[in-house]
Amino acid sequence: MIQNKYKILLVEDESNIRNLVATMLEAANYQTILAGTCSEAKSLYTSYLPDLVILDLGLPDMDGMNLLDFIRRDALTPIIVLSARTNEADKIAALDKGANDYVTKPFGAGELLARVRAALRNARFSTSVGRVSDGRFELNGLEIDYDARRVFVKGEEIKLTQTEYNIVALLSENCGKMMTYAAIIKAIWGGVSQEGSVKKLQVNMANIRKKFGDKPGEQNYFVNELGVGYRMNE
Amino acid sequence: MNKLNKYIRDGAITVGSLLGAFALSLMFQYIFDVREHVTTIFVFAVFLVSVLTDGYLFGVAAAFIGTVAVNYAFTFPFFSVNFMIPGNLISGIVMIAVAVLTGALTTKLKRHEATKAESERERMRANLLRAVSHDLRTPLTTIYGSSTTLLENGSVLTEDQRLRIITGIKEDSEWLVRMVENLLSVTRIDSGQVKIMKTPTVLEELIDSVIVKFRKRYPTQKIEIELPDEMIIIPMDAMPIEQVIVNILENAVQHAVGMTRLKLKVYESGQNAVFEISDDGCGIEPKRLETIFTGYNSSADEVADSQKKNAGIGLSVCATIIKAHGGNIEAQNLRTGGAVFRFVLETEEMQDDTE
Repeated sequence: MIQNKYKILLVEDESNIRNLVATMLEAANYQTILAGTCSEAKSLYTSYLPDLVILDLGLPDMDGMNLLDFIRRDALTPIIVLSARTNEADKIAALDKGANDYVTKPFGAGELLARVRAALRNARFSTSVGRVSDGRFELNGLEIDYDARRVFVKGEEIKLTQTEYNIVALLSENCGKMMTYAAIIKAIWGGVSQEGSVKKLQVNMANIRKKFGDKPGEQNYFVNELGVGYRMNE
Repeated sequence: MNKLNKYIRDGAITVGSLLGAFALSLMFQYIFDVREHVTTIFVFAVFLVSVLTDGYLFGVAAAFIGTVAVNYAFTFPFFSVNFMIPGNLISGIVMIAVAVLTGALTTKLKRHEATKAESERERMRANLLRAVSHDLRTPLTTIYGSSTTLLENGSVLTEDQRLRIITGIKEDSEWLVRMVENLLSVTRIDSGQVKIMKTPTVLEELIDSVIVKFRKRYPTQKIEIELPDEMIIIPMDAMPIEQVIVNILENAVQHAVGMTRLKLKVYESGQNAVFEISDDGCGIEPKRLETIFTGYNSSADEVADSQKKNAGIGLSVCATIIKAHGGNIEAQNLRTGGAVFRFVLETEEMQDDTE
């Protein structure tokens, strides 16, 4: 039975929060490995090879970014960053360094577990075929035919431009994952992001939302995180 | 740069006033053939320069120029400088005295105003701090009390009681989170070192994010939303602005008794985007309306614990944030009942995005 559980390495120096998060995860049937410092986390990571890492950025011995670099040197293990910082710049830095997602403290159990599920599922897809099986993507009435480059919502086709389609496809391939502006721009237009390219992306997203009939505040397919990027809702 | 501009402005005032005095004197002399008032006109010009410019420099300079001009052009012997005549000497001394005294007076006045503004800010900060310590303690009491109850007597409580206590903990900690967010924004802005970081933000995305946050807290409260059709980009620090809108919406939910409609409308007015949040509740007491954005001072005559979730902090935070954006915020009662909060931010021209 134990073998069938996902192993999650939890790196957090506050013991109260560590216990709490461990309880949340264990209640959801995950196996947890706990670390309080960066160096401890490194050795635990190499000996257990967890399926997912939850990482607090403010650690006593060194910055959590350090561990991010350490793991990303040779593994794609999903990493969720826990951060008390509400500063967008920190979130973006962590995401661009290879973190899959972030959760801002304080957070509820539901929020954290949803991110964990999304990150695990994402890792599964991207390590197997790179995209959802048989070239199709389906989610709550949204359907994407990757081979024909066509998009349907509740059976009805949505006419998208080249760029719009590319963005939708990219977000769907990374469904549930927070994609920073820089990451999307790099994937869609190539090269480094320049002055004005974020705006270009925002304009395209506005058009996509309009075509999908998304309304502000409703349960939409696309979630925007102000100043950070976009995510396809799972 | 700024200083240079000021010097140019002050210099222009000086030259303008003196030229005006000169022209007026010439007019009196040639048209009416009177010359007794020349000195008075120049004294007045010197006075004006001293009042309108900063410091003593320009006032005293104007006094010297005025003295020489009067001496040269308008007093006997005409068109020659002669300080030996006692009358000329006296008018010169009078002008310089006027310039120095007026300069001293206005400088003092300006300094006084600066200290007054500073003490006003100080007072607001003290008010805020007092309010905060009260508002933080109340939910903490619930959280602390509830958790110790659960720890010590958890087993004897019924499932229902336990649920009620835990819900209380959750609600009060949510309230604390919001409070801390508000305080963070205020200190961030108030500290003066960290400036507002404006980035171009898409209006639709902002509203989406606001509504998602609001729904999390009040899942059953309906909001009518009205946005312009075209894409609007507003340079702003998105997080605090988001907080402003959430604070106002939340304020309506908590204080607008009898509210059936809550509406969030954004429209363009020239170069500005106008945000309007209106409800059809009980409106705002006229007495409260005056101080609604200035902080917590009205709480003195209220019973301390009558409103745990007082609007004081939330709304003064809103005002601070909007002012830091160079915008303007106001609250009004609607003639049809209910209240409306309105704030204005400058939009960005759409240009370089059609490649």
